[in-house]
Amino acid sequence: MTSNRLWRLLLAPGAIWLLLLFVAPFGVVIAVSLGTTDFIGRPVFGWYPENYQQVFDPIFIPVLVRTAAFAIGTTLLCLVIGYPVAYMIARYGGRFRNLLIVLIILPWFADYLVRIYAWYVILGNEGVVNGLLQAIGLHGNPPITFVNTPFAVVGGLVYDYLPFMILPIYAALERMDPSLIEAGKDLYGTPFQTFLNVTWPATIQGVIAGAVLVGLPAVGDFATAQILGGPNTYMIGNLINDQFTNGGYPPFGAALTIVLMILLSLLMVFYLRSASAPSEATI
Amino acid sequence: MSERPQVLRAGSAVIEQPRIAAPAAQTSSITTGRRRPPRGFDRPRFLPMVTALVFIYLFAPILVVTWFSFNSKQSLNVFGTPSLKWYDQLIHDPIITGSLFASVEIALVTMVVSTVIGTLLAFGLVRARSRFSRPTDILMLLNLVSPEVVTGVALLLVFSEAGGFLLQFGIQFGLSLTTVVLGHITFSIAYVTIIVRGRLAALNREVEEAALDLGATNVGAMRLVTLPLLWPAIIASGLLVFVMSFDDFITSYFTTGVGVEPLPLRIYSMIHFGVTPEINAVGTLMMVMTIAIVLAALALFTRQQNARQELAFLAE
Repeated sequence: MTSNRLWRLLLAPGAIWLLLLFVAPFGVVIAVSLGTTDFIGRPVFGWYPENYQQVFDPIFIPVLVRTAAFAIGTTLLCLVIGYPVAYMIARYGGRFRNLLIVLIILPWFADYLVRIYAWYVILGNEGVVNGLLQAIGLHGNPPITFVNTPFAVVGGLVYDYLPFMILPIYAALERMDPSLIEAGKDLYGTPFQTFLNVTWPATIQGVIAGAVLVGLPAVGDFATAQILGGPNTYMIGNLINDQFTNGGYPPFGAALTIVLMILLSLLMVFYLRSASAPSEATI
Repeated sequence: MSERPQVLRAGSAVIEQPRIAAPAAQTSSITTGRRRPPRGFDRPRFLPMVTALVFIYLFAPILVVTWFSFNSKQSLNVFGTPSLKWYDQLIHDPIITGSLFASVEIALVTMVVSTVIGTLLAFGLVRARSRFSRPTDILMLLNLVSPEVVTGVALLLVFSEAGGFLLQFGIQFGLSLTTVVLGHITFSIAYVTIIVRGRLAALNREVEEAALDLGATNVGAMRLVTLPLLWPAIIASGLLVFVMSFDDFITSYFTTGVGVEPLPLRIYSMIHFGVTPEINAVGTLMMVMTIAIVLAALALFTRQQNARQELAFLAE
């Protein structure tokens, strides 16, 4: 029984660390979000709930809507192109399955900024694609504008987070009993019916896990929109960032952060509800 | 409908538990697949095509950056002759090398501290029976899924508040590379805990009990039996954390002070300043470094699985 005390003791460093540097900071964010600033812009505590009203000010509604649209679009695109890939690898990967999965995740380990910048190199006005178009004599001059468009930002976001959609779906497909598909066929289901009635329900957990793993970081992303986008692709992450680094108003940034966190927590609760038994593989 | 998940869960349990059985099951399904070629509709033709396109999509940007890092010309769409001049330039750029060393230092400290704390936490979560277990577990998972902007802002605010508070006692505490390390450790702990916990939970407790029966002390059993089985997972998670810390942009962005900045921040400023082939060279170097480390971690992880199979075999 003394050993249980030892094991309990081992919880302490991690728990205390998270309390000090994860939970306590949120307390400070809440406090700042209700405060104001002094004459040199430092946060001062107080009771100014109007900071939250400002979040839903008509000026900022487009930013919120755009963030939601980009995140949903990114998640759906990841699903549409990720599911077939996961399916292909899980069903027909054979002995190359593990290798293929490693190859899916490997590019993600290239530096985050370098990956976004790479798309700038490819799509920029003086980039690779425009160079190629010019070389074959097609529409080179003036260059086609890819960057600073919503498409570039969503494309970059998909690139950032696609592996997180593929991996959980792959895990779910691998856990699924292939004979279920055979059964579907034996019952004269068309491939589409079999997919809709057998494979999809059996892998829905993986899809939901993937949607969470893609959607949450996509909502909070700001570097992608900063590098591949422009003023018309501003996301909530950029807005928060500006409040703290570009001479903005920190209490408003803190309020935005809290609102964002509440929205994401609601999504998480929804996820935990639907995934009754989250397994190690989905994380 | 209601039965299906149960069937699945039973099936998955069979595959998960005895690792030896799994490969056998896989090969048999592959061979039957070969013997009986799939009927026409079994594999829609678009599947391989989409997969190939996605692989191109995933690798093209990386290859483009690498390719142009060896370009003698400044241009991003005309390739001159192969040259190492951008690498030469960045090696002689004291700001970049300074940032590189700072990033390595940050990643090393983050790796060591978060691996220790995360491993301890994994032991605590798997083995302790405590009313704090579940809240700690939830806290860790919440930390894992919080977007970095949110945690970054929270850290920025807590550090500046703490700085103001400590100043009253004459202690200088501002944003610096130290606060970057604190931030990185905070997001790293959960990754270590999840990887190590997975292995620890899969580990057969009886082996450790056997060691105790054979006269080993608690510490001895831990040192001679449990830890050797966990080392690969611990090291793999440490390497993963090293890479994530080394590559991290958002948390660093909010927690860096004036002075030397971590390499990703340096790259960010360079991108703002304008696209130069030097960024391609830095990017390529970082990619080579991180991907080598990740592959090392993966190799360790695979070896670990083999070791576990051997152990399961012994147990039977």
